[in-house]
Amino acid sequence: MLSRQRLFWRLHPYDLPGSDRVFLQACRDNCAYHIRRCPGYAAICEHLGFSPEQLQSTEDLAHIPVIPTLFFKRRALFSMPQWRMAMKVTSSGTSGKYSRIGFDWGVILAEAPMVVNLGFRHHLVSPKPAHCVILGYKPHKSNHTGVTRTMFGLTHFSPPLSRTYALQMVEGVYVPDLDQVAEKLKRLERSPFPTRVIGFPSYLWFGLQRMEELGLRLKLPRGSRIILAGGWKQHSAQEVDKGTLYALVERTLGIAEDHINELFGAVEHPVFYNTCKRHHFHVPIYGRIIIRDPDTLEPLPMGRVGLVNLISPLMTATPTLSVMTDDLGYLTPGEKCGCGIPSPYLTILGRVGMSDIQTCAAGAAELLGKGEAF
Amino acid sequence: MIFANGKLLPDSERRTVLDGLEEQLNAVRLAPSLAAETVISAVDALGRRLEAGEFAPLLSRFLPAGVGLEELLPLLRRESLEAKLAAELGAAPFESRNFSKTTARVLPLGVLFHIAPGNMPGLPVYTALEGLLTGNINLVKLPHSDKGLSLAAFQLLTEQEPRLAPYLYAFDLPSGQREELKALAALADGLVAWGGDGAIEAARSLAGPGCKLIEWGHRLSFAYISGYEDKQAELAALAGHIVETGQRLCSSCQVIFLDTEDREEGLAFCRELLPYLEGAAAKRIGPGAGAAAALSGRSALLERIVDGRAKGETLFQGKGCCAVFRPDRELELSPMEGNVLVKLLPQKELLPALRRQKGRLQTAGLICASEKREELAGLLARAGVTRVTRAGTMSASFPGEAHDGEYPLRRYLRVVDVESGN
Repeated sequence: MLSRQRLFWRLHPYDLPGSDRVFLQACRDNCAYHIRRCPGYAAICEHLGFSPEQLQSTEDLAHIPVIPTLFFKRRALFSMPQWRMAMKVTSSGTSGKYSRIGFDWGVILAEAPMVVNLGFRHHLVSPKPAHCVILGYKPHKSNHTGVTRTMFGLTHFSPPLSRTYALQMVEGVYVPDLDQVAEKLKRLERSPFPTRVIGFPSYLWFGLQRMEELGLRLKLPRGSRIILAGGWKQHSAQEVDKGTLYALVERTLGIAEDHINELFGAVEHPVFYNTCKRHHFHVPIYGRIIIRDPDTLEPLPMGRVGLVNLISPLMTATPTLSVMTDDLGYLTPGEKCGCGIPSPYLTILGRVGMSDIQTCAAGAAELLGKGEAF
Repeated sequence: MIFANGKLLPDSERRTVLDGLEEQLNAVRLAPSLAAETVISAVDALGRRLEAGEFAPLLSRFLPAGVGLEELLPLLRRESLEAKLAAELGAAPFESRNFSKTTARVLPLGVLFHIAPGNMPGLPVYTALEGLLTGNINLVKLPHSDKGLSLAAFQLLTEQEPRLAPYLYAFDLPSGQREELKALAALADGLVAWGGDGAIEAARSLAGPGCKLIEWGHRLSFAYISGYEDKQAELAALAGHIVETGQRLCSSCQVIFLDTEDREEGLAFCRELLPYLEGAAAKRIGPGAGAAAALSGRSALLERIVDGRAKGETLFQGKGCCAVFRPDRELELSPMEGNVLVKLLPQKELLPALRRQKGRLQTAGLICASEKREELAGLLARAGVTRVTRAGTMSASFPGEAHDGEYPLRRYLRVVDVESGN
């Protein structure tokens, strides 16, 4: 799968037109690979009348069979034996169900230049050691979620001096301890090294609100950063707008808005989306995004709100070439941002209220692969 | 969180509560039984406060957007509760009956351990309420999706009537905590399990031989069409039911069976039904309201393709809904969210086809000419369904209705025969 590596090792991460040809070639190869190796995916392409040769221009990307992430929560599809995979990762399973996605070694080879390239571009990489406070899960052998691995990985952009986790495993269950985190941050205020707060935006919001209640106001050392990943998850009802959150960060931690990075990605589509200095998620060359009509799944023009369809030829262990999230969002032309990055940017509006209520009809428990009340 | 003896406690207290529970429950058993009237007046009073909107801010915190308790509130009235008791247990439910030398006394089963369902907000409270009405002590394992509604309800109920406090305990226990679940089951005389096959099987493995199993498993419901009284009204009502319930309830229509062998008739029916489904889907509110339908329908289609089941079917895609014409005759789960399956099932094949799902059948929404209704309802009943309704009322309920073919309260009681001394 050389075409994939050619795409991921390119130098300019936001030059979409320049990468179109390589991107299409990588998608053709990826699709053909899955058709050869994964009977389920081959059946899907056959039933929907799609073959890789139909991919001639970027407009044709919309014709790749698009698979909802919901599907991967019900059926695991793999295009290689498990022993050949580097790892298997699950989504966070906010609603009690999760997808199982295989990662091949080539993904790691392709992701490395992408992460380094974008890490430098968005000022995440620093040679200065830093203390890490992770508002997320402490890795544990029973935890296979992608977001836990991502957050752990993010602690390596600068040499990590220490790691403090907000969610720790106690007797087999994760328990949040925001007070302990607040105390740690207070101690780090006097450290000669900067602090990196990495975590779920919801936990940052709850944590900082708690600090305000306690009357804690800090000024973390210069060069300290906030890196947000994983979305609001089950706390989406409490989601606040970015401006309010950033103002609270500045007030309680003394970190300015330009030192806050947000990330976006999905286990099924582990492309490294970063916010620009104006806090927009521009589409990097490793992926393409199509917004689709929520009622009919037909592609919508730029600017219209719909379901977010993510396309990337990154994965070969699981056929996630074109996946549909249950996020609603829209695209805006890059030049409207003003940050200088030319590619369009994605705004996520929130998640479709799916599967909050589980079904009652018979057999659903089996269908979902898990018992219901258990 | 834990609810015990009228108090909300943090999970860290769980061990302490569990350790002292047996002694506490035994003390309650020794006390005079809880009278149904005590429960009825407390629930009625609380229901009125709910209806008056007193707890609106509290409810809005716990209920998913767009979900209300309208369906549940009428069931909390005194008249409904009394009607339920009378319908299920007769006019004098707790009265002793005298035989020549023996008196038959009616007592609560004792301790009920409820493994509560997560598919409908309020159900964990409702199942506990059934236990209370029959004087039982109730231990409730709350579903994962319960974000505090049930705990709040239990607290309000025991504040309203402190005498209920010793009869109510609720635990926010993750399903992984088998040891603690087993400890609770060991204290129970009856295990009331709600949920899918997985949940029911897990519950069976928890209950020891001395514990009576009361299972409310998942059920499947369908519509059967054999002619019409008023075609437009009936199709509109059925489509409304399908979209409004999202096909998530046991009583929701999953499959529409047509009394014909003619494939062309089946395809024509789908074309005719689609605008009605779209009409109902257009009434959904909120951004991306149709998205759940589209994602669920698409995902189910891909699953059928991968499983090699999509050949021979015809998809009628609508806006925010779809009808799938399938060549087989099985009752099965639909893709839900307004995506309905349509199949042919001539009357003479109805019984054997439904028998293949025995134990899972619930409601049949029957659409037919009025002169055929009695005969078809009888046939459906013999085939094993537990409820025959009209098109739009498949999920409607009334006080005193049976639950999956049974009166639950009867199962929560026991009879003690006591021989007189002389």
